[in-house]
Amino acid sequence: MILSIEQVSISSRENKIVDNVSLSVGEGEWFAIVGQSGSGKSLLSQAIGQMLPTNLKVEGKIHFKGSELLSLSRKQFQTIRGKKIAYIFQDYQSSFTPFRTIGQHFDEYLRTHGVSDAKRRRIESIYALGSVGLDENLYKKYPFQLSGGQLQRASIAIALTLSPDLLIADEITTALDSVSGHRVLELLAKKQKETGCAILFITHDWRHVRRYANRLAVMKDGEIVESGGKHRILDHPKHEYTKQLIEAAPILGQGLPSGLQEVEKR
Amino acid sequence: MMNGLTLRLPKLKRLSWRGIAALIGLIIILIVVIYTFVFLRHDPNLTNLDERLQNMSIQHPFGTDQLGRDVLTRLLLGAQQTIGYSLLALFAAIIIGVPFGLIAGYKRGVIDRVFMRVGDGFLAFPDTIVAIVLSGLLGPGIGNLVLAIIMIKWVSYARLVRSTVLSESQKEYVLVARTNGLSPSKIIRKHILPHIVGHVLVLASLDLGKIILLISAFSYIGLGVQPPTPEWGAMLNESRPYFQSRPELMIYPGLAIVAVVLLTNMAGDYLRDHFDVKKEVQ
Amino acid sequence: MSLLTIKELTKFYQADKVAVDHVSFHLNKGECLGLVGESGCGKSTLARCLLRIEPIDSGSIFFENEAIENLHARNLFPYRKKMQIVFQNPTAALNPKLKVKDSLIDPFIQFKKELSLSHFSYTSTDAFVKQLLEAVELPADLAHKYPHELSGGQRQRVTIARAISIEPELIVLDEPTASLDVISQKAVLTLLTELRETLNLSYLFISHDLAAVSQMCQRILVMKECRLVDQFNTDRLFDNERHSYTKELISIF
Repeated sequence: MILSIEQVSISSRENKIVDNVSLSVGEGEWFAIVGQSGSGKSLLSQAIGQMLPTNLKVEGKIHFKGSELLSLSRKQFQTIRGKKIAYIFQDYQSSFTPFRTIGQHFDEYLRTHGVSDAKRRRIESIYALGSVGLDENLYKKYPFQLSGGQLQRASIAIALTLSPDLLIADEITTALDSVSGHRVLELLAKKQKETGCAILFITHDWRHVRRYANRLAVMKDGEIVESGGKHRILDHPKHEYTKQLIEAAPILGQGLPSGLQEVEKR
Repeated sequence: MMNGLTLRLPKLKRLSWRGIAALIGLIIILIVVIYTFVFLRHDPNLTNLDERLQNMSIQHPFGTDQLGRDVLTRLLLGAQQTIGYSLLALFAAIIIGVPFGLIAGYKRGVIDRVFMRVGDGFLAFPDTIVAIVLSGLLGPGIGNLVLAIIMIKWVSYARLVRSTVLSESQKEYVLVARTNGLSPSKIIRKHILPHIVGHVLVLASLDLGKIILLISAFSYIGLGVQPPTPEWGAMLNESRPYFQSRPELMIYPGLAIVAVVLLTNMAGDYLRDHFDVKKEVQ
Repeated sequence: MSLLTIKELTKFYQADKVAVDHVSFHLNKGECLGLVGESGCGKSTLARCLLRIEPIDSGSIFFENEAIENLHARNLFPYRKKMQIVFQNPTAALNPKLKVKDSLIDPFIQFKKELSLSHFSYTSTDAFVKQLLEAVELPADLAHKYPHELSGGQRQRVTIARAISIEPELIVLDEPTASLDVISQKAVLTLLTELRETLNLSYLFISHDLAAVSQMCQRILVMKECRLVDQFNTDRLFDNERHSYTKELISIF
């Protein structure tokens, strides 16, 4: 297990937002956390990278490759976040500083993580852009000149340049329409195969879970109501809430919710 | 039950002591000013050199000035001048600015550009300069001062209203109203005016303080209200020679100006919080 | 019978950039017609054009066999009361300064004189608003609240109630569920299907969600890069003759 979360609770001064959650992500696995807005799934993912607002308190243990993340100091943490654990967020517009070019974002990211040679940084960035199917000339463009799908690809490229062991993708397709969202996820799946990194995938969309995830956990009101392998949960949900969620998401065709039949067809 | 409670709480909180104090203070000042208007005890312009520079007495609670005029009476009547003319200038600016802004924002295109360039032209002159130039051209007097203030202030209302109209008329509820065949005037009245009222009131109450200061300042240097009419700025000026012997002659009008400006600013802050529905949403 | 017919509709958003390129289709009475495409393909612009909120550059729009593309505001009035729109974002589609009941009653006040309602009946404003809220399965006490006091799903139900309040012929649904969470999405779609049957409405259902469209609609139009590339009956969705772009969409869902 590359990441294991043990009995983590997140609470503000007034109430508990995430209540006693445990889960673990294996190496090279695509693990999905599914839930509606307000279920605490995003906060949980932020807790892993110590990115919670300061008014929230975290209890419990988060093990990542043998070290206990919550006990690390800020400085120790910096070597992990970004390099070993990378993030991609839902809001692609504000993930980029508007007045800096895409290239400058790459450059800064590589420099802070120890690539000192400017020429090498440039070559690596352009290579990374190419690897997510983006044109080289986007290097000099500003974020507002790119479409949402392109920006989200660029985020993936940046997140993967340092080949992290864990990629946390927080609702990365929610702000995109289904077609470009689909293309972004295809890309992510391809990159995962190439790099072998584990992905913690936060979403509310069953279609993505059905297609890409290996295992998943369903969250409601800060608790995990059900977790397990994809086929087990999608085709044989036990919890009432999971059933409700699956039923609410329409799919095409007559296959099983997990898409087993579709796979056979190909 | 719970729901109702949590929703109503912020409203109660917003009636803060400062807001209440400001509103009560302003109301008291208004009552006093009206009272003096109705029940005047002394002639404010009656000079009586026998009684000049007197101390406090029952006859003259705040004493008398260098010409033997009752200070309290002049102070209260000065309030009428200062606040009255300020309100006059303010209302005139709003009455000119709001329609300009509405039309420019809703029509857009050429009309908008013409209106706004005219506005920019007015805005290019600092208010003091306009006032001084106008007094130079038309002679000093409160009428010209008010005119100058209107000329400067209407632009900010036009701009405020225009920007609100521009952003609101892009919203889909205005589109829905248009698909329902509502005429532009109806859309403005029902859907856009409610957004404007709050903004304008807030700006107006903050502006009121500035205008009061401006009128007082200009009267102080002799370009506003002309003697012997009582006005706070002018009173400050007249008592200047007696600053050493009778400092309270300057302190009374000075304090009056400070108090009124402070109260209007407090009221402005209060109104801003009150109309800020957005804060409630988040 | 054809309720709405669009012929060769073209719209430019800049002098040389086309937003809708020679689009033609028709919508039958009582039908739910789906319009699918990714964002930026011109489907929302098309909706605004045929509601006459935006001017068109060429082509024609027939509503009940009457050309309406050149009508002026006053002549358009009789058609306005037969067409309504529900937007994607209910927060923007409701005036935040108006109470729910005031927003709801707005179209009715406008068309009061010309209307003859068959499903709803107007006795007083309060009773009418109550009927409308009931029709979209909302509690009556929401009438006196402001939009920000409602949840996203409730707000969208209010905009739907507003759209059906004058019993129009056609409602254009512009991604009505895109800003809602999964469970409210399902509920709103179910509600829309029920309302269509009880009120005998026609829908133009615009969405990028092919799965939802195929559940709601009898016929589907597919739009790509400002053009209509495919149109078919929903039961022919998996046919081999489908356009390659339609097939790509199918593979996503």
